[in-house]
Amino acid sequence: MTETGRYLYAIARGLDPQVLADVPALAGGQLEVVEHRGLAAVVSDVDLEEYGEEGLRRNLENLPWLEEVARGHDAVVQATATRAPTAPLRLATICLDDDGVRERLDAWHDALEEVLDRVEGRMEWSVKVFARPRPVPAAADSPPAAVSGAAYLQRKKAETQARQAEESSAVAVADEVHASLAARSVAGRRLAPQDPRLTGRAEQMLHNGAYLVEAEEGDAFATLVDELATAHPDVVVECRGPWPPYSFATLEQP
Amino acid sequence: MSQSHDATPSARPYYSPPSASPRPQPANLADILERVLDKGIIIAGDIKVNLLDIELLTIKIRLLIVSVDKAKEMGIDWWRNDPMLNGQERTLADENRELRERIEALESKESGD
Repeated sequence: MTETGRYLYAIARGLDPQVLADVPALAGGQLEVVEHRGLAAVVSDVDLEEYGEEGLRRNLENLPWLEEVARGHDAVVQATATRAPTAPLRLATICLDDDGVRERLDAWHDALEEVLDRVEGRMEWSVKVFARPRPVPAAADSPPAAVSGAAYLQRKKAETQARQAEESSAVAVADEVHASLAARSVAGRRLAPQDPRLTGRAEQMLHNGAYLVEAEEGDAFATLVDELATAHPDVVVECRGPWPPYSFATLEQP
Repeated sequence: MSQSHDATPSARPYYSPPSASPRPQPANLADILERVLDKGIIIAGDIKVNLLDIELLTIKIRLLIVSVDKAKEMGIDWWRNDPMLNGQERTLADENRELRERIEALESKESGD
């Protein structure tokens, strides 16, 4: 007989378990809600062969597995966050049984209540700013040998300076976009820009912002992003959302 | 403003879904991994898996998404020298290359005289 554990997706408040009835859980399981002292943990059974310490250590190295679990985890968190104030848990938080789940709800009760107070009625929006790809300077037609050393150096220096000026003005635009968005949201965070190898995009990411926005102001926020994009045609501005408040539901101060 | 989008009959919508704009739903793997691995509440469960201990494949992913501060905490700073990740270093590298090219140009000129 295989052992199972309780995989925790999120902690919510005032969650009607019925609304999750049709949402698929990880590993073909069924979502359930463990309630304790006014908090509701969204959980499902997982096989400890796959989700035990050894299994996880092995599986987390396996990108297709990780992708499936990450998407499944996120889908449950999304479904929960559209129904109730929700604090998403980090991937792979697993207890052995419901007593273990209740123990955590007990130990973290006040901190979780605080987090839920902070995110209640709010969603997260992601806004990224990318540098526009620079046109390649058409310098190839003049053979380097024909150029004097001084002229060569001068041209190189001018090219470097032009590029630096472009880069710093793009960075200034990113700062400006962030300031405008932060002023119109409850909270704003600058996350680490994502690596091109992860985004699969050639453009350099100048800004990776997360904004906590009142749910009913989501449309207005998206409109503001569109306006900022129009005002700054020299960069690419991308807006995604609404997300569950991942970046703002942290026990540490964000 | 209308917030009476009746999405699911069984439940009252907790927030009004974004109405007019057909914005693509967030499904980008980079965004999801960034959030589920690096953000959210950290509560130790009974299964002890420190995501920061996982090596090989995920360490690579983690390096791409963790915050700069955390990377420094973990003693990881190769990205400082990775030209793909750091504009300033790239400029320095460019300058070095230019200097080398310049020296080569001078040297070949001298030997030609």
